[in-house]
Amino acid sequence: MERLQKYCLSLFCLLIIFSCEKDYSKLSSEERYKLAEKVFKEGPYFYQGSPETMSRIERAIKIDSTYCDAVRELSVPYLKRGIPHLWKKNMDKAVICNPEIWQPYRGYNYLWFYRDYKKAIADFNASDTLTPNFIDAPQGHSVDYWRGIAYLGLNDYKNSIFFFNKYINKEIEESGEDWVEFTAFLYRGIAYYESNNFDEALNNFNKLMYYSKQTADGKYYKALILHKQNKREKALIYLNEAITDFNEGYFNDRPYVETLRQIYIQDLEQLKEEIMSNN
Amino acid sequence: MKTKKGFKIILYSISIILLLILIIIGYLYYNYRTRSGVDTEKYPYTVEYIAPDKALLNKDFNVCDENFLVQYYNSQRARYSKGKNGLRNFIISHYKNKNYTDSGYLNIRFIINCKGEAGRYVIHENSLNLEPKEFNKDLVNQLFNLTTQLKKWNPNYTYEAFRDSYMYLSYRIENGEITEILP
Repeated sequence: MERLQKYCLSLFCLLIIFSCEKDYSKLSSEERYKLAEKVFKEGPYFYQGSPETMSRIERAIKIDSTYCDAVRELSVPYLKRGIPHLWKKNMDKAVICNPEIWQPYRGYNYLWFYRDYKKAIADFNASDTLTPNFIDAPQGHSVDYWRGIAYLGLNDYKNSIFFFNKYINKEIEESGEDWVEFTAFLYRGIAYYESNNFDEALNNFNKLMYYSKQTADGKYYKALILHKQNKREKALIYLNEAITDFNEGYFNDRPYVETLRQIYIQDLEQLKEEIMSNN
Repeated sequence: MKTKKGFKIILYSISIILLLILIIIGYLYYNYRTRSGVDTEKYPYTVEYIAPDKALLNKDFNVCDENFLVQYYNSQRARYSKGKNGLRNFIISHYKNKNYTDSGYLNIRFIINCKGEAGRYVIHENSLNLEPKEFNKDLVNQLFNLTTQLKKWNPNYTYEAFRDSYMYLSYRIENGEITEILP
């Protein structure tokens, strides 16, 4: 009987030990960071936003709250699934955690997922102050390129062209014109087109077509200008090519959300009708 | 006397076995919930889950596989049958700003089933700063009714089959006017 009590007590102690939370505060900051990274990056794959994935991210943050990649990752499924208040709550924490990395990235999110151009520009501008010797490139493109798009969203053509010039000229200077993201020519062309500077717009659409042979957008805008200049035959040639390119999938779009000034086959067909009716 | 002792031994043995079983179950449960790390209190479902009993217009709506719902953007994405242009044209041409003064994001999430039918709606109302707020009820009802009139969808196609998928429409509203429809 006495032995049984001892066994029970030992087992009870074991249970207590197993059920206790681990105390990570005894680890050095470097060890905590490495462990958080390990928890965040390793382990079985589960879908983004699943209880398993969200819990694993939370666990990494619990180990080290300065492991900002995990803090940001917590926001992503809410962004993609249209739950804004929970995206913001988590994204703002990531910005506080590491503003140099995540503030320009938040700007990118404001730009595309919320079409809040002013908030996007504010975040891109903040990155100039946070990293004065470095031009940030959230999601692979310079903040100048993103600002060009954001100002176009606001129909502020002067600033849009200014930032596209800044981005394009820097790329040409450092790597060559063929390294320029070709949609920069498209959007700078649209900024000129919408501000009625057709010559500069055409220069950009021609440049776009030079680097990207199949581009429904470039040919559509060129056809629009030619149509406005009463060059019917040429306009039709470009428009028909634009329709072919579109049907083959060569048009500007984005994953997750519609892109800025996205064109649709109906736009092309409508222009064709207009050109044909002006016979 | 001997019988009593034997009975005691059997009782103790059964108790120990039961205790051991309980410990093993407890340990496995601990491993499942804690070491595998699923915080079922905070995350009982995927973040996009729409509870059928709390959703709007779910009564006659059926999904094809309750256990496998993808996102609208997965693989061959789910789309409105008349395209984004058609969707925008329908909403903008039917929406009436009845002197609303609201600004913010009215997000309506729902499911497109594998047959291209829409249902199981849920509404999120947020300010332009993405904080929860309440919109004018008439505005919400109007946009909800219009959204539910978007009947025919092309369902998502993933793993060689049409799938049920989560979808959302986000209306950015400034002073009662729709300025953007996303995604």
